Amino acid sequence: MNYSLLLVEILVAVLGLGVLLADLWIPAEHRRKLGYAAAAGLTLIFFVGLSDVTETSYAFTAPGARTGMYVFDSLSVFFKEFFLLAGIIVMLLSVAFSDRFTTGVSEFFSLTLFALLGMLFAASANDFVLMFAALELITITFVVLNSYQRNRAASIEAGVKYLILGALASAIMVFGIALVFGSANTTNFNEIFLAQKQLAGNPVFLAGLAMVLGGLAFKVAAVPFQVWAPDVYQGSPAPATAFLAVGSKAAGFVLLLRVLFGVVPQITAQWNHLLVVIAALTILYGSLCAIPQRSLKRLMGYSSIANAGYLLIGFASVSKAGAAGVLFYLGGYLFTVLATFTVLCVILRHTDSDDISSLAGLGQRSPVLAGVLSLSMVSLAGIPPLAGFFGKFLLLKSIVMLGVRDPAYYCLLAVALLGVVISLYYYFGVIKAVYWGGGAVDLSPIPLDWPVRISLTVCVLGMFWLGVFPDHVVKLSTPAVEVLKPEAPASLHEKGR
Amino acid sequence: MNVTLNHYLVVSVLLFCLGLFGVLARRNVLVIYMSLELMLNAANLALVAFSRFNNNLNGQVMVFFIITVAAAEVAVGLSLIVALYRKRQTAHVEDLTSLKL
Repeated sequence: MNYSLLLVEILVAVLGLGVLLADLWIPAEHRRKLGYAAAAGLTLIFFVGLSDVTETSYAFTAPGARTGMYVFDSLSVFFKEFFLLAGIIVMLLSVAFSDRFTTGVSEFFSLTLFALLGMLFAASANDFVLMFAALELITITFVVLNSYQRNRAASIEAGVKYLILGALASAIMVFGIALVFGSANTTNFNEIFLAQKQLAGNPVFLAGLAMVLGGLAFKVAAVPFQVWAPDVYQGSPAPATAFLAVGSKAAGFVLLLRVLFGVVPQITAQWNHLLVVIAALTILYGSLCAIPQRSLKRLMGYSSIANAGYLLIGFASVSKAGAAGVLFYLGGYLFTVLATFTVLCVILRHTDSDDISSLAGLGQRSPVLAGVLSLSMVSLAGIPPLAGFFGKFLLLKSIVMLGVRDPAYYCLLAVALLGVVISLYYYFGVIKAVYWGGGAVDLSPIPLDWPVRISLTVCVLGMFWLGVFPDHVVKLSTPAVEVLKPEAPASLHEKGR
Repeated sequence: MNVTLNHYLVVSVLLFCLGLFGVLARRNVLVIYMSLELMLNAANLALVAFSRFNNNLNGQVMVFFIITVAAAEVAVGLSLIVALYRKRQTAHVEDLTSLKL
């Protein structure tokens, strides 16, 4: 077997175990430095670990089989780069946050690395077994990360809620995998793809597939599996929430892309109206529930649901353009959300609550933080020239032409635009509190240490880079989705002719 | 009586629904957790039955994965429930209401 394909995963696993071991010899006051070491290690892996993809290759192959459990292709490399970048920034954020943990600082770094490992495997999963194992690695590590501040009741509560709902989603997914295995007699993605014509009429297979998709919908926080997101986002420590919002969600999306467009594209084409409805409901739920929120972290939870809805538009379009839009949008989402959480992490140290009104006076206390927070809110709202605008543009562009043949897409477009208008209200509420919020008592300046500065710089540069020069990332995301094989729904064919 | 694949599947679906009912209806976190394990074992039973009747051992291997994952989940979950009980002196879901609007 070709172990060099798994180089990145092996290096990240070694790094995670290394951090855990190093903890034994390093005195408590120096343990935060392990986080810097881990971030440096991840940066090294990011720059040297990934080779260019020339052709799709497989690992964990059965003797004589042409496919395997693990696939190394352009899509997996795009997402591995994505996850590593998110991992680096989250690691810097964890170092900045770690002085609030009484014990177990290095375990937090090492658990973050193991969650990253799960995401890297999810990016390469080519078999329902590996998909399940990767998702569970992510879920279980996040249960620990979310409840890490075990002296805070809110953190424990967030952990318990994630534990129960996460385990419920896994149980549903596992039963779905059992039904898929029973009807297809294999769990390999390529083999199911070849057999999908016979399987499309098999109700056991369809039920199993729907249950698997339910498990993935939990990961991306899509309706009807979205209820956990606001509570968990609010209660968890800021670095864990940031990684949950970016990494765990993207892991769900890469698997959705693979399953919907790579394993069962014919069935996906029949289910396109279901995807339209789920996308529309997710956008509406996230946007409407975000309006009355007072806690910034909880607001980000609802915003994350709404963003999952926008990303699902790319799936509803059932096209390569939509899939490429999903990749671009996730890229912009990474920088924007990590910038928001870095700012939040610093502010939470200086104000006790994460209430939006406690942001008052931030414009004077720290113009840098205020500026970055405003930029990320503007980007999330989708205003040019920032990353969020171009991502939404690509996704909406992928469905706007379909509306001529199928009016359902016009409805989805209208819902998406309505969601954008509503989001302007609540995102600008945050900016208003930052610059024009009254009642600020403490106007002392907020100091910024260098890991925070680095991650803020990277995030702001990323937001502008994706917004002003979208070509670069479009050139990366378009070939990445070439491995997917979406098929246009029948309703879109007939009326077009 | 000849026991066929369908018999196993009916038992498995019953177990799954029983587990789901437990998760939705019970109020104690520990009981909810036990019901979740029941759902995982329903999947195990279905996988083993499919494996046996389709003459494909891959399903049995998947069962080992599920058992391992369930063990890890129980270790994390029970310690979290203990931490919850220490902090709040309760293991009831109605009392988990500190996070809301």
